[in-house]
Amino acid sequence: MRRRRNDVPLDRDPSGRHLPWLVAIMVYLATLALVCAVELSRVAVRWDTGLSGRLTIQIPPPNDDEATKPPGGQGALERVIALLLATPGIISAEVLEPDEIARLLEPWLGAAARSADLPMPTLIAVTVDRNSPPDLARLGREITAVAPGASIDDHQAWLGRLRAIVRSIGAVALLVVGLVTLSAVTIVVFATRMGLSVHSEVIELLHLIGALDSYVARQFQSHVLSLALRGGVFGLLMAVLTIFAVWSVFDGRFEALGALVRARGLEVAAVAVLPLAIAFIAMMTARWTVLRTLGRMP
Amino acid sequence: MVRFEDVALRYGTGPDVLRHVSFHLEPGSFHFMTGPSGAGKSSLLSLIYLAQRPTGGRIRLFDRDVHNLSRKETALMRRQIGVVFQDFRLLDHLTALENVALPLKVVGQHDAKVDRHVAELLAWVGLADHLHSYPPTLSGGQKQRVAIARAVVSRPSLLLADEPTGNVDERMAVRLLYLFEELNKLGTTILIATHNESLVARFRHPVLRLDGGRVTVTRATAPVRPDKGSAA
Ligand SMILES: Nc1ncnc2c1ncn2[C@@H]1O[C@H](COP(=O)(O)OP(=O)(O)OP(=O)(O)O)[C@@H](O)[C@H]1O
Ligand SMILES: [Mg+2]
Repeated sequence: MRRRRNDVPLDRDPSGRHLPWLVAIMVYLATLALVCAVELSRVAVRWDTGLSGRLTIQIPPPNDDEATKPPGGQGALERVIALLLATPGIISAEVLEPDEIARLLEPWLGAAARSADLPMPTLIAVTVDRNSPPDLARLGREITAVAPGASIDDHQAWLGRLRAIVRSIGAVALLVVGLVTLSAVTIVVFATRMGLSVHSEVIELLHLIGALDSYVARQFQSHVLSLALRGGVFGLLMAVLTIFAVWSVFDGRFEALGALVRARGLEVAAVAVLPLAIAFIAMMTARWTVLRTLGRMP
Repeated sequence: MVRFEDVALRYGTGPDVLRHVSFHLEPGSFHFMTGPSGAGKSSLLSLIYLAQRPTGGRIRLFDRDVHNLSRKETALMRRQIGVVFQDFRLLDHLTALENVALPLKVVGQHDAKVDRHVAELLAWVGLADHLHSYPPTLSGGQKQRVAIARAVVSRPSLLLADEPTGNVDERMAVRLLYLFEELNKLGTTILIATHNESLVARFRHPVLRLDGGRVTVTRATAPVRPDKGSAA
């Protein structure tokens, strides 16, 4: 008959019945949002370092169909190469063979990419010393001076957009976590207020025998903590299962997960902390609600 | 210990339930309170256990004015007051044992020793076989005894009992009164509201008589009736 029973019979009323489910759903959403944001930012970092050391310079084909006036011509390519090799900060400049270009274009154009009729631009792949890159704006001006119509693509515009997307997805994820926390707080406030009014007689009796408000608050705290923990752990479990499922669709191999977990210890810990954090916030909200509500009574 | 000075009480916009009530309970004293039904006995007690504040006059408890106690001070003062409520106010989801242990638990004591002490007390009021019964399964008189045990378990300095023998037979009533007398000998100030004139006559303690919202204190030196016992 040993027991740690609550003096306020909160487990027998509906005020907290839906709390675990709501917390489970909220933790689920927040976990997925966080994982997505973290994954995306990792991918973005990888792209970033993979690409930003490279430039592509495009010289339009010499005999355009409209043929207003052939701007570049073969001479232009040599001039550009010479200019590039003379520019400090540039490690190499390599002209892509027409075959290679055709191969790159094939997925979009099909066999037509190999057609000799198709006017192909000349592409130069440039590797830049990332530690002391050249002044790209000036380089661009110099290139158009020697080869009018040539364009320089440092992937920055694209990368910039990518970074913006990743950043905004991160912000959305944080927003989701924030909203989830806010809803958790709201739900707990209402559940606690309901509990206070359902059990007003018990609480009055506790007061009459000398209980402090903090004693009453503890009854609610421990109840809400256990409900929120239960819901949070369940939500986390569901989120992890979802991530595993998605992962296995992409990768097909479950063995890789162990390595993933080992490699991302910190992030895994952060995700595991989420339900604990929400449960803690729920508990403190219950405490605060009780103390505030009772404190306003005469 | 308890001092009322010209105290008045009214519920909402209703008539005065109490008016010009003045009396003083010395520390260690034992008083009965009598009066017709609806005279305001329960209301007067509720002023002492701080469930409400008077609408007029002054109340001093343990040498402190109760009018501007903080919530915390109110709670601490209530810990020195044991109350047997007329309607018991037991918690239905707790066993008799847990109900009686509650005042101790609330102040942070709960261990095996407490349970033993509580069990002894319940045995004393004849509930040894009902330690683990829930109030809804107890009779009126049994609930009343649980309520009494809860009121005295923490050895309060002041015990207020509202009709504590209303649901038990005369023999148990006398037994409970002896319990209160024991407590009184240990220093507890006692105030018992009751309709039971034969108990009042038998135990010969001073009486606060409440009628028409006013209190008169009678020294019960002479028994109201000879001690033949007009059974309830
Ligand atoms: N909470 C309340 N709200 C309004 N009126 C109340 C309230 N409690 C008591 N009263 C009124 O106050 C008066 C005194 O009631 P009280 O319960 O103090 O009488 P009592 O002497 O204890 O009666 P009894 O002997 O029947 O227990 C009654 O007229 C009652 O209607
Ligand atoms: Mg009464």
